[in-house]
Amino acid sequence: MRMTKIGRGFLVAAALLFVLPFAGFAQSGEIVLKWPCIWVGKDSKAPAIAEIVDNFNKANAGKIRVEIEPSNDYNAYEQKVRTAIMAGVAPGDIFTLKLNASTKEFYSSNLLMDFSKDLTGEWKNSFDQGALQQSIIGGKLKTLPIETAVLPIWYNGDLLKKAGVSKIPQTIDELWTAMDKLKAAGIYPSSQMSGDTNAWTSMIWFSWFATSFGGPDVWDKPFTDKAFVESAKLMKRLFNDYTTPDAIGASAGVSGGHFLAGRTAIFSNGPWYAGRADLRATSFFPSIVIAPVPPAGPHKNIIISRLQANIAAGETKDKARHDAIITFLKYLTSKNNMAKLAESSGSMLAVNSGYVPTDPLQKQFYDLVGKGYQTANDLEAALGAEATLEFTQQLSALALGKITPEQFCSLVEKKIDR
Amino acid sequence: MWIVLIFFLVVSLLPFVWLIMNSFRTNYELETAPLGLPSRLSFENYKSAIATANLPRLFLNSVLVSVGAVLLNIAVASLASFVFARETFKGRDTILTIITAGVLIPIISFMVPYFTMITRTHLYDTLTSLILVYAAINLPVSVSLITAFMKSIPKELEEAAIIDGCGFNARFTKIILPLARSGLATSATFCFIYAWNEFVMAMLFTSSESSRTLQLGIRFFTSQFITDYTGMFAAIVLSMLPTVLLYVFLHNKIISGLTAGAVKG
Amino acid sequence: MKRHNANRYWIALYLVPIVVLFGAFFVYPLFFNIYTSFMKWKGSSEMTWNNFANYSKLFSDDTFLLAIKNNVIWALSQGFIQVPLAALIALMLAREPKGWRVMRTVYFLPNVISTVAIAMVWVALYNPQYGFINAILKLFGGEPRNWLGDPSTALAAIILTTVIYVGYFMIIILAAVMDIPKELYEAAQIDGASTLQQELRITLPMVRGTMVTCMTLAMAYGMRHFESTWLMTGGGPAYSTTTMGIMLYLKMDALRYGEASAAGIVLIVLGSVVIVAIRKIMGNKDPMAEAAQ
Repeated sequence: MRMTKIGRGFLVAAALLFVLPFAGFAQSGEIVLKWPCIWVGKDSKAPAIAEIVDNFNKANAGKIRVEIEPSNDYNAYEQKVRTAIMAGVAPGDIFTLKLNASTKEFYSSNLLMDFSKDLTGEWKNSFDQGALQQSIIGGKLKTLPIETAVLPIWYNGDLLKKAGVSKIPQTIDELWTAMDKLKAAGIYPSSQMSGDTNAWTSMIWFSWFATSFGGPDVWDKPFTDKAFVESAKLMKRLFNDYTTPDAIGASAGVSGGHFLAGRTAIFSNGPWYAGRADLRATSFFPSIVIAPVPPAGPHKNIIISRLQANIAAGETKDKARHDAIITFLKYLTSKNNMAKLAESSGSMLAVNSGYVPTDPLQKQFYDLVGKGYQTANDLEAALGAEATLEFTQQLSALALGKITPEQFCSLVEKKIDR
Repeated sequence: MWIVLIFFLVVSLLPFVWLIMNSFRTNYELETAPLGLPSRLSFENYKSAIATANLPRLFLNSVLVSVGAVLLNIAVASLASFVFARETFKGRDTILTIITAGVLIPIISFMVPYFTMITRTHLYDTLTSLILVYAAINLPVSVSLITAFMKSIPKELEEAAIIDGCGFNARFTKIILPLARSGLATSATFCFIYAWNEFVMAMLFTSSESSRTLQLGIRFFTSQFITDYTGMFAAIVLSMLPTVLLYVFLHNKIISGLTAGAVKG
Repeated sequence: MKRHNANRYWIALYLVPIVVLFGAFFVYPLFFNIYTSFMKWKGSSEMTWNNFANYSKLFSDDTFLLAIKNNVIWALSQGFIQVPLAALIALMLAREPKGWRVMRTVYFLPNVISTVAIAMVWVALYNPQYGFINAILKLFGGEPRNWLGDPSTALAAIILTTVIYVGYFMIIILAAVMDIPKELYEAAQIDGASTLQQELRITLPMVRGTMVTCMTLAMAYGMRHFESTWLMTGGGPAYSTTTMGIMLYLKMDALRYGEASAAGIVLIVLGSVVIVAIRKIMGNKDPMAEAAQ
C-alpha cells in the first residue's frame, strides 16, 4: 500500500539521519571549544588562523581542542550570532563580532564572558589601549579587540600620473583640482556607492568630511549640525560630478570592481583589502598610495579608524572550560601569533606585536597609523545600523537631488538612537 | 501564439546561459565586461569548487534533507488534505483557512523561536532539524494544492468504492490518493526545490561539516569583503546540475504518466 | 449519517500529524511573535513590556507606510499579472503544440535554481553601462537608464523579474487543465465552437478553483516578498523598493527584535485582509467539483 511505502521511506530516512551526525567523539577529559569562524576559506586571515589553531591543538593535545566551524557568509554569520544571542544561546565557545553602536547591546546579555578579571598585567598591556577602552562598555569588557582598521583613501598612482596630477592632494582644493584633471583625462575620479546597507566606500568619505568639519566627537552632535550638512553637500558633489554613472545603488563589489579595473582613480577601504589577490595582480598595484582625505574643515590631523573585529567567548560556570578559553585567547593574542597573522593577512591588529611590514602597501598603512593622529570613528561604528541604513538609503535621494542636504540630515537624525 | 511562447523560452533560458558562460570566466573578466564571452574556457572555478568545498558530502546531505522533507511533507499534507477535501466535520473550514494562511508568514520572523525549539530539543546541528523545518514550512502550500486537487475528484467514484466495501483508509489509499497524483507530484516538486535551495535555516541550524548542505558549500566562495563571483557561479552550476537533470528526466515522466491516466466520468 | 460517526476517530487521527507539525512550526512561533511585538527586546534574551510602542513607532515611520504600499503593488502584480500570464501559457501548452513537453520543462527551469542566481543575472542585465537591457534599448534608439538605481524605475524593474517567470503557477494550472475530460472539447468541436470559445466556455470555468488558489498564493507571496529585492537593491534606492519583509529583516539587523515582531504581525494581518477581500470579490467556488457532484 502506498501509505506504508511512504511511511517506510520516511522511517528509513529518519533512522539514517539520526545516525549520521556523529562525527568524532572527544576523548574523555578533553575540552572541546567550538569556534564558528569567519576567517576561513578565501579570507585573508584564513591560513594564519588555521596554523595558529593547529599549533595550539598540538601543544594541548588531550586537554584542549579548538574546533573551527567555517562560516563563509559574513551576513549569514552575523545573523546567526544575533539569533542565537536573542534566543538565549551563545553562538559558540569562541566567536567574533563587529563591535559598534548596535552590537554593544550584546553586552547586556549574560551569555558573553566578561574578561575584566582575567585581563591583567602583561596580557593587558599588550593590547592597544585605545582599542581596549573602546571595548569597555558600561564598565564591562565582554569582547577583546583583535582587528582594527584605519580607513584611508587609495590613489591609483598610475592614473594620477596619466592625468597630470603630480602630487598627492594635501588640501581639499587640491583634491578637487586633481579630480577635475582626472575627469578631463577621461577617468572617473572616485568610486562611490549608495547601495548595500552601509554605502561603505561613500560612508568613509563622509566620515572624513564630517570629522574635519566638527572634530572627532562630531558624532555626539545632532545630525542636523552644520558639520554634517556641509559634508552632505560635498557628497552630493562627489556623486554628481566625480564618479561613475552606476554609483547610485551600487554595492561594494561594484565600487571595488571599478577601482580594480582601473576605471576609477580614488578608492576608499580598509587594510584587509590590501591582501586581496586580485588587487595584487593589477598592473597599477605598485603605484597605490594611501592617504587621509584632505581636511575639508578646520579640524586637521584626524584619521578615521574603527574596531573591525572583536573576539568574544560564551560564558561558562565550568572553571576548567573557562580556563581553557582564556588559555586559548592568550595564545591567540600572543605577540608571535599576532605578528604572524598581521604579516600574512594585511590586517591591522589591536595587539602591539612589534610587527613591521615589509610589503610596501601594508607599510603605508602602518606608517599612517604611526603618525599618531587623533582617531575618530566612522559613521557606522559611531551611530549603529539603523542610522547607517537611513544614511545609505537617503544618499541616493540626495545624489539625485530629490532632497536637500538639510532634509537628508534631518532624516538621518530621526533614526539615531540617543 | 508562438511569439509569446518563444519569448518566454528566451527569458527562462537566459539565467542559465549567463551563469554557465560566466562560470568559465575569471572575476576580472566579469567585472570589466559583464556580458562578454569567455576569452578561453577556464575550468579553474570548477576545479576549485570541487576541491575546496567537499561538495560530494554536501551533495549527499542536501539529497537526504530534501528527500526526507518531501516524504514527510507529502505524507502529512495528504493525510490532512484528504480529510479537508472529502469529509465534513466541525471546524474543518476554520482549520483549513488557518493552515493556508500560513503562506503569508514571513519565515524570517520565526528564526528566533525556531532556533529556540531546535536547540532545546537537542536537534541543533543535525540534518533532522532541517527535514522537520522544511517539511513544516511547506505544509500550507502543499495542503492548498493537494486539497484543491482532491476536491475535484468526482464523488461517484468514492461512492462506488464504498458500495464495494471500501473503508475509510482504503478510500484514501486506493481511490483519492492515486487520483490526486498530479497534486502530490506538484507539491513534492515545490517542496524539494525549496529544501534544496534553502540557505538561511541551513546556516542557522547547522555548524559542522557532517550536517552542512550544498547551499552552504556554495557560499564558501564568499567571505568578508571578498566575493569570488565566477567561482560561486561554478559552484551554483554544479549544484544546479543534479536538480536540473533530475527534473528534466524524472519530472517529465511523472507528469506525463499522470495526465495520461486521468480517467473521469 | 452513520458513516460520519464511525469515521470521527479516523478523521482526528489523520489530522494529528499536521496539527503537531503546524502547531510547532507555525502556531507557537506566531504567538511568540505576537507576545514579543509588545516587548522592548534588544541585545539579549531579556524583554520588558512595552505596550503598543513598537506598533506606533512602525506606523509613524513613513518608510514603513511606503513598504506597505509596495507590498500591495507586489501582491496585485503577482496575483493579476503573473498568474493570468501563467494561465495563458498553460492554456497554450495544454493544446499540445509541437515541442510542448520541452517548453513545459524549460519554463519551469528558472524555478528550480535558487533565487540568488536569478537575482544576480538580472542585476547584470540591468547594469546601466554594460547591461543587456540598455544595449538593446540603444539599438532601438532609446535612452539607457540606471534601472535599479533610479527610485522611479527600481520597483517596476524588480517586479518584472518575478512576474515573467510563470513556471511555478503554470505547472499547477496546466495540471488542472489536463484533468479536464477531453470529451467536453470533442463535443464542443462538433458543435462548431472555436478554440477561443472553447477556452472561455469550458477551460476557464473548470479551472476556476485552481486559478483562485494560485492567485491567493501569488498574492501571499507578494505580501511577504523579501528575497529578490534584498539581493538586487537592498530596499533602495531611497527605500523605493522596500517591503515589509525587508523592514522586518532590517529591524533584526539593528537588533530591534521587538519591532521586527511587530512588523511581522502587521504583515500577516494586512496580508490576510488583502487576500480575504480579493477572494470575496472573486468568489470561492470550484465548478469542477460542483459539476462532478
